[in-house]
Parts: sequence; structure tokens; C-alpha cells
Amino acid sequence: MRILRKLSLLSSTAILSAGLITMGLSSASMAGSATVAFSTGSLGTTSYDPIRSSKLNSATSLIYDRLVEQDADQSFHPHLATSWEESADGMSWTFKLRKGVKFHDGEEFNADTIASWIPDFKDTPNAYLVAAIKSVEVIDPLTFKFVMERPEPNLLYNLASIFMGIPGQKSYDSLGKKYGVTTAIGTGPFKLTKFEIGLTTVVTRNDDYAWGSDLSKNQGPAHLDSITFREIPDQSTAFLELKTGGVDLLMGVPTDFLTILNAEKNVGVINMAGTGISYMPINTTSAPFDDIKVRQATALAVNQKAILDSVYKGVGSQAKHFLIDTLPAGDVKPELLVSFDQAKSKALLKEAGWVMGDDGVRMKDGVPLKVKLFTTNDTNFKRLTQVVQAQLKDVGMDAVITVFDASTIRDEYKKSNHQLAVRSYDWNNADILEWFFSATRLGYPNVSMWTDKKSEELKDTAMTKSTTSAERIANFKAYHEHVLSQHLFVPLYQPAQHIAFNKDKITVPAMVRGPRFRSQTFVDIDVAK
Amino acid sequence: MTALILKKLSTFAALRAFTTAIGMFAGGFLVLLLLVAFFAPWITPYDVATQNLANSNAAPSWLHIMGTDEFGRDVFSRVIYGARTSLSVSATAIGISMFVGMLLGASAGYFGGMFERAVMTVVDLTWSFPDILIALIFVAIIGPGLTSTTFAIAIAYLAQFTRLTRAQIVRLKSETFVEATINLGATPARVVLVHLLPNALAPVIVVGMLAVGDGIVLEATLGFFGLGAQPPIPSWGAMMSSGTAQLYLAPWVIIYPGVAVAVTVIAVNLFGDELVQALDIRDRVRS
Amino acid sequence: MILKYAIQRLLMIIPISLAISVVIFLIVHLLPGDPIDNLIRVGSSPEDKIALAAKYGLDRSLFEQYFLWIFQIMKGDFGQAIVLRRPVADLIAQNLPYSLRLGGFAFLFSSLVGIMLGIIAWASHNKWGEQIVKGVILLGSTVPGFWLALLMILLFAVTLGWFPVSGARDWTALVLPVLTIGFGGIALVARVTRVALLEVGKQDFITLLHAKGLSRSTILFRHLIPHALLPVVTILALRIGWILGGAVTVEFVFARPGLGSLLIRALGQRDYPVVQASLLMLALAVMIGTLIGDLAQAAMDPRIREATK
Repeated sequence: MRILRKLSLLSSTAILSAGLITMGLSSASMAGSATVAFSTGSLGTTSYDPIRSSKLNSATSLIYDRLVEQDADQSFHPHLATSWEESADGMSWTFKLRKGVKFHDGEEFNADTIASWIPDFKDTPNAYLVAAIKSVEVIDPLTFKFVMERPEPNLLYNLASIFMGIPGQKSYDSLGKKYGVTTAIGTGPFKLTKFEIGLTTVVTRNDDYAWGSDLSKNQGPAHLDSITFREIPDQSTAFLELKTGGVDLLMGVPTDFLTILNAEKNVGVINMAGTGISYMPINTTSAPFDDIKVRQATALAVNQKAILDSVYKGVGSQAKHFLIDTLPAGDVKPELLVSFDQAKSKALLKEAGWVMGDDGVRMKDGVPLKVKLFTTNDTNFKRLTQVVQAQLKDVGMDAVITVFDASTIRDEYKKSNHQLAVRSYDWNNADILEWFFSATRLGYPNVSMWTDKKSEELKDTAMTKSTTSAERIANFKAYHEHVLSQHLFVPLYQPAQHIAFNKDKITVPAMVRGPRFRSQTFVDIDVAK
Repeated sequence: MTALILKKLSTFAALRAFTTAIGMFAGGFLVLLLLVAFFAPWITPYDVATQNLANSNAAPSWLHIMGTDEFGRDVFSRVIYGARTSLSVSATAIGISMFVGMLLGASAGYFGGMFERAVMTVVDLTWSFPDILIALIFVAIIGPGLTSTTFAIAIAYLAQFTRLTRAQIVRLKSETFVEATINLGATPARVVLVHLLPNALAPVIVVGMLAVGDGIVLEATLGFFGLGAQPPIPSWGAMMSSGTAQLYLAPWVIIYPGVAVAVTVIAVNLFGDELVQALDIRDRVRS
Repeated sequence: MILKYAIQRLLMIIPISLAISVVIFLIVHLLPGDPIDNLIRVGSSPEDKIALAAKYGLDRSLFEQYFLWIFQIMKGDFGQAIVLRRPVADLIAQNLPYSLRLGGFAFLFSSLVGIMLGIIAWASHNKWGEQIVKGVILLGSTVPGFWLALLMILLFAVTLGWFPVSGARDWTALVLPVLTIGFGGIALVARVTRVALLEVGKQDFITLLHAKGLSRSTILFRHLIPHALLPVVTILALRIGWILGGAVTVEFVFARPGLGSLLIRALGQRDYPVVQASLLMLALAVMIGTLIGDLAQAAMDPRIREATK
């Protein structure tokens, strides 16, 4: 019957045309381009608007430049600002700007840009970054002054933050809320050409770029023509993509795969100091953890070295307090550092009235020492949680694990349903202490549910009453030491950062000049010859 | 001797399913599985929760015939215990589903009219919606764990039992013996419970068996998304889920639990088919 | 007769959709957590949170929120995503083509291979051919989809390197995902094809064609298979929910863009407008598929109809 013939003709045409269409849509990999996979921590950027976004990724640093950049040793280097001076009383900062800088749409960058840019932060999630700035004074096209509300020793850190990449003011003002969704105009070495939310971001070279910072070897236009960034949620998949050539560079490699990658001849691995801590907050309002002895016992029951050796194969370092090692405010009194001491842990529990039962679980007044241990559905967390569970069992504490998704667990925290939780943060500044222990943030992010007069005083002093950098460090150290003495959490592990790349496809500078892998390194990446 | 046993077996209709070659193998495997799951604590060579991090991700060897996982735990022991979790969760869920489904279907079929239409529309919706999504949402509301997995699976299969029972009841309703019973003054409840349901039971039970197989797959899928059994309880799905991160390093962590699921479900399906043949209810079973 | 039934069913879609929209809305808002937590970041104040909640109307009563939403939908406006910060319609427009492509090819694959297997099962008069086909079908339809996907990635993408591990960069990235979903569909189609062929084959006019001397293959391709197509379409339309569910899992494992990934991501971030719109679309797709399937079923030969249930 003709039906069948028509049908077969129709279906074969359909298949053929579909195949041709999909082939045509495939992105041909051009010479001079690279594919990069984001680390799992920087997934989910919703727009390239640095002022309004709460979550950004490394591609943002390629589109926008900042006034200053931070090096791996925490020092600050000039970028769009060539020099700066802080007044003696800290109430004003004067900056000199680079000449000849232009935005991707041709708009000129000068002091007026800054005057228009700072007020943009009002009523945005990032407003706190400029909260200490009262006003901007334009002195001449290449000089401006910040008139401050109060001294802010943290100003340079904020200016180097990825959230203070400077957008083109003309396009920012005209596009309003739509800015960053499909259009993002900066002065950076790459321009945004495609953004498929949750999937890919494609940036192409800005050929006019001539103002790189001294943290890069190449201060002119980048070597690569374009870079395609892919968001791959599963770390194993990302690793497999590197192995099969689907991706040229992995930003963030799990320790499991490091041994394999280090052994591969065509894979290069770069190791950098970490910028975060994995830790276990303790809910101080939930019995038995309202007893500081029990909290301390919990902290001493965890064996950070065993975690480091067996879970992470010795890669990274132990965490002994709340901050990363590169921060000076982490340099606290040695007796406050948290270390494994099983005997003391058991003794403390006994002191607190918890006697070992026959089944290996401690009891007090007929109640067993059974606690809730929450975490989110992430491979590393689940692994860490199970190891901690086993270590707690060794001192007679029965921890019951529940795995949640990220949104649900925050709800649980707010309702104070948790007792112990395994989580992590990624931040390289001491003010992370305020974020996680301030009384104004109970529930989430203050998962320890901690509130205490002394902590609040120390916090306020550290956050707003420091006038110089040295003062700020000292104040945060005091706050940090108080937090440690109350045993509000247990430090678990300090990961290092690892970048892996395909040596046959691209060359990457061996030393990364910055706490993170960002634009200053990307402009030095080239196609392998 | 065996011929005599087989002859005795075949007098009990359902057991006739064991007499064919396929029936013997599939049925035998299922019986073995049930025994293994029951006697797990005595059979497993290693403890399922003890960690041995120095020996993590070890390839299968004589010491560990299915290798070890990322914590150094014996995969073989965990697969056996996983059978307990998977079978009990699935059986409980299908049991609940069958019970509720039969009540709903029987009443819908008996009373008919608007009531029947309403019940069937609601139930049909649960059937045509992807069961993964129903389960995901259910678990997101109640929270992860075996309880929510059980309820999610129960809801996913509710429609099947409701439809099946209703079809049986509708068919039986028109039989003369039913009319006679009603004329003798039996209440609707009595008619449904004493006279209709028992006759509708056979196909429902067989379908229930097949559904347990599907339930195991659904439990594995939910476990894969991290919503099922909580660590360190072994469940086939959860093992495969944590194994994904090890896909390249230790593929056996994913392969063996998956094989366990596949073989179990295939055995259930094959035996179920034999059972249908043995009871001669092919026309009453919509699979 | 069928027309009346069709119109009845079509009219029913409206009240059912409304009921579903209420259920979807309630479920989504019953989920613990909220989207605002996904919008704040390190350093922002607790007042910011309250202000944000008010901005998105999340501080109003559920009634109010529902009616605002449903009236918006009826005007054709899917609204603005909270966390993803762009029109929901844009997000769906960006992701839908990927899912359609995946679903479409899976549909095609299931149909073609399923029909082929159904023919083999029907044509092989010895037990072996039938059993082999039955075995293959059983295997493909009972194993968990994600497990199959992982094994295929391990074998074909990593070890052999024939196909990409993940993503959607070109047509090669479609192969493994389509195979994963398709394997399950093959079982349904093969079974239905075999029954259809059997039933039609028994009819008198076929015997007549035999007697006239037409070759078996001519009879098969010109007269029998066309009768199998309707049941195939029917069964796949009725089980569309199953295909959609498979697509969600596959998009997750293969890190592919699509409505499934969008839904899961939005669900994780509690982006209410996106989740509600996606679920509504899925529900509509399922209802329409079921309607088509039901109508086709009603129009079918009763003996074949049984096989599609």
C-alpha cells in the first residue's frame, strides 16, 4: 500500500534532516579555542551581572576587570587602578586610574564610571561590599576619591572581589534588570557571546585588550580565540570528559582522581592552596550539645589525620580551626587548636554523666547518646559523614545520618531540627566568622544556633571598628579564639585546589598568581603546539 | 521419586508454575533469594558497616569476591543485605498498594456511576504521570528515608491494582450468583468482601508479584537519586548511586548491585508469566 | 460515537488541568525550603531576605499567590523565574528543543526496533526466535534505566571512546541517551506489533492474498505492518509518562540540557514559577498523550486493543 511507502519515505527524510540539523548545530571546535569545566562549587550562575548576582563563576573574571587584583600571597596588585593611597585616619582613599581602557561596547572607562558604578550597589545582595563608602569624588578623569563612612581595612579585598568587576555603565543603566542575562559588557580580556543558563557559557577574545595586570605574563590580548565553559554537575562525569577529550581543563578535581591524572602522561595537574574548610557545626541549643563538655568531647573524637589519609589519600591538609591556613587571623593560641584525643573525649563524656552502655552507646539517666547527623547529597559530604559517624561510634556516640538536598536542609536548620551537620564553606577572608556565628543569622547560616554577648561584641569590633589591617587581623583573631573556646563546631578537613588540563591541547602557566584560577591565568593559556 | 513430587505439586494449581523448566529456574532463584535475604546475618562474610579505608576500591579477589567500595566495605555482603532492604521495601509498598487499590477498585466497580468515574480519573492521573517525579516530590515533602520510599512506590502502583480489581468486579458483578446473594438480602459490604473479592484475588496477586519486581527497580532509582535508604544501610540503589562517583575507579560497585536488581526482576517476571500460565488467567491479567 | 467521546474527553481537559494546577501549586509550596535562600549570599543582612521575599510576593497568602499565578498563566504569561531571574517562557524555550529531540528520537528508535523485533517474533515459527526476542525485550525493559546508562557510558564512551560522555555538543551525544530510553520502549512496541500481526494475519483477506500467490514479504510489508502502526502509536502515546520519566533520569545522568534537567535544577533551588510551569507542561503532555492513545484505542480492532492495555 502506498501508506507504507509514504511512511518510510517520510520517516527517512525526517531522520536525515534531523541528523543534518543537529550536525549543523554542533559547535565545531576551532583551533585556538578551549573547553573548560567549572568546578562543582561554581555551578548555577544565573546571570553575569556582578552587582545583582549572588553567585558567580570564573568566566565572570574574564568579562570584567577589577580595580585591584589579589595575588596568591594575599598581596594586592594594580589593575584598572594604577596606584592608591589611604589617608592617615582611614576616612578617604584616593585612586589613580589606567589610561586608554575601553568597554566592549566602546564606552570609555574613567573616574566618572566609578562615580556611576558605586551607587548601583544600593538595594542589592552585594551592597555590603560598598557599605563603608559614603561617596565618590571625581578629581580628574583618571583620579577619584572614596569618602568613607568609617575606616575599612577590608576595602582592597572587596575591590578585588569578583563581585566588583566593573560593568559598562551605559549598557548597565539602559538594560536595567535584564543586564547580564544575554548581554554583559565589561573591559575584560574576553567578551560574553553565549550564555545558556545551567549549561554553557562561551566567551570570545577581546582583541583590543591592552591593560592586563602584572600578575599575567601577557598583558595584551589573550592567546585563545574563545573559551567554552561547561557546567557538569557530576565530578566523575567531568573527569571522564577530560579523559576522553571532551573537556580541555577541569577546574576542581576530586582527590580520588588525582592519582590517575598524575600518572597520565598527557595530563598536567596544578595544585593550589585551598580556599575553604569542611567542618561540622554543633547545634548548641539542642541537648546534649548544650553542655560544652559534650561539645568538646565531640570535637576531640574526630580524627582529622585519619580523614586526611584515608578519605583524601593525604591530599590537602588537616583543619584545626575555622579559617584557612593562609589567613593571619587563623594564627590562634596553640591550646585552642582542635586535635584528635580519643582518651580525653571519652573522659569528658564520662565527666558529663554519659556512661558507656553494653551495646557500645553511652547512656545518661536512661537516655542513650543518640544524635542526628545531617548532610547534603554530595559524594564528598556523604563520605566524610560516614567516616565521622564511625569515629563518633568509637567514643560511644550513636550518630544517625540523614541525607537531604540543599534547599530542604536549610529549612531543617532554620527549624533547629539538626544536632550535627557536615558541610563546608568557600571563602578566603576572616569575616566568614561573622557569616556563620553572628546572632543575626540564627538557623541558616548560623547552623550552630550560637548567640552570646561576648561573641557579638567581638564580632562588631572586628567587622566595623578596625581602622587598620593589623587591627582588623587582631580583632578577628580575638573573635576567632572566643569561637574556638566555645566548641561551636568541629573542623574536619582543608581541601587544596586542583586544576587538571590536557597537555596535548593547551599550555597553562605552572604558577598561578592568585588565590583562585581566574582571568590573570586564563590570558596566559595558549594552544599547545 | 521426583516425578511423584512433581505430580503432587501440580495438584495445587499455583505450584504448577514450578514444573516447567523456566518456572523451576526462576522460581528456584526467587526462593533462594528470599532465603539468602532472611539468613543474611549468618551468611555474609563481612560486616556491612565496618570501614576499612586502607582497602577502599579494591578489585574483586578471593578475599572480596565482589571487591570493596570507597569505604573498604565488602560489596558482596552489602549486596546480600541490600536484598533485604529492596525486597522488604518493595513488598511492603506493593502490599499497601494492593490493599488500598483493591478496596478502591472494588467499591468503584460495585457502585459504579459518578463515584466510579471520579475514582478512576484520579487514579488514572497517578498512573500516567512519570512515577519518578511522583516519588521525587513525595520524598521532597516527607523527607528522605525508607518510609517515604515505601509510600512513593505504593502510590505509583495504586492505579494498576485499582483498575485491575475494578475490571474483575465489573465482570463478576453481572454473574447470577451475585444477583442471588443480593436478593437474599446481603449488604453491599458483604457482597464485595465475601463473594466478589475472593474471586478477583488470583490475578491481583500475580500482578502484585510482578509489581514487586518493578518496585525494586523504582526503589533502586530513588536510591540512586539519594532519596532512599540512609547511610550506612545498604540498598541496591544507594550503592549504585555512590558508585557513580567511582565509575572509572571501581566499576564493580555499580555493576554487581545492578546485576542483582536485573536478575531478580527478570526472575520475578519469568516466574510471574509461568504463574499466569499455571493458573490459566491470562485473559484476566492486564500486564 | 468516537467523535462524541473525543469531544467529551477534550472538554474534560480544562477542569482536570485546573485541578492539577492546584495540586501542583500546593505540592510545590509544601516543599520545605524557599527560593530566597538561594538568592542571598555571604555578607547580606537578614533584612535583605525579608525584602526579597516581599519583592517576589512570597509573603502573601497561598490563596492570593495561587490566583495571581493561575490568572497569569491563563493570559499566557508563565511569569518570571525567581532564582534563575529571567522569563520562564525563555527558559522553557531554551530547554524544550533538547528534550523534544531526545524524546522524538527515542520514540523513533523504540518504534523501528520494536516493530522489527515484533516481526521477528511473529515470523519465527520455532520457539527459539520467539524466546530470544522475548529475552532481549525482558532484559531491556526490566533493568533500571540509569544503570544501563552508566554501563553504556563506561563501555562506549570511556573504554571505546565512540561517543561523548555527557552534554549535547552534537548528534553523537544523542546516541547513548536515546538507546537508554529506547530499550524500555522496545519491549512495549514489540509485544504490541506481534499481537497486531497475529490478529490481522488470521483474517480471511490475508488467506486470499496468499492464495493469489503474493509473496510473504509483500503481504507483510504492504498489508500487515500498516495495521500494526496504529497500536504502536497508541501504546507509546499511552505510556508517554514513562518516556518522559526516562528522559528526566537520562538528562540527569548524561548532564544534558532539557526540560528534565531544568525541572530538577529548579526543584533543587525551589524556583517556584519554573517548577510549576514545567510540571504543568508535563501534565498537559501526559493528558494529551493519554487522550490520543485512548481515542486511537477506541478506534482500534477490539482484539488488538487488548494488547495495548
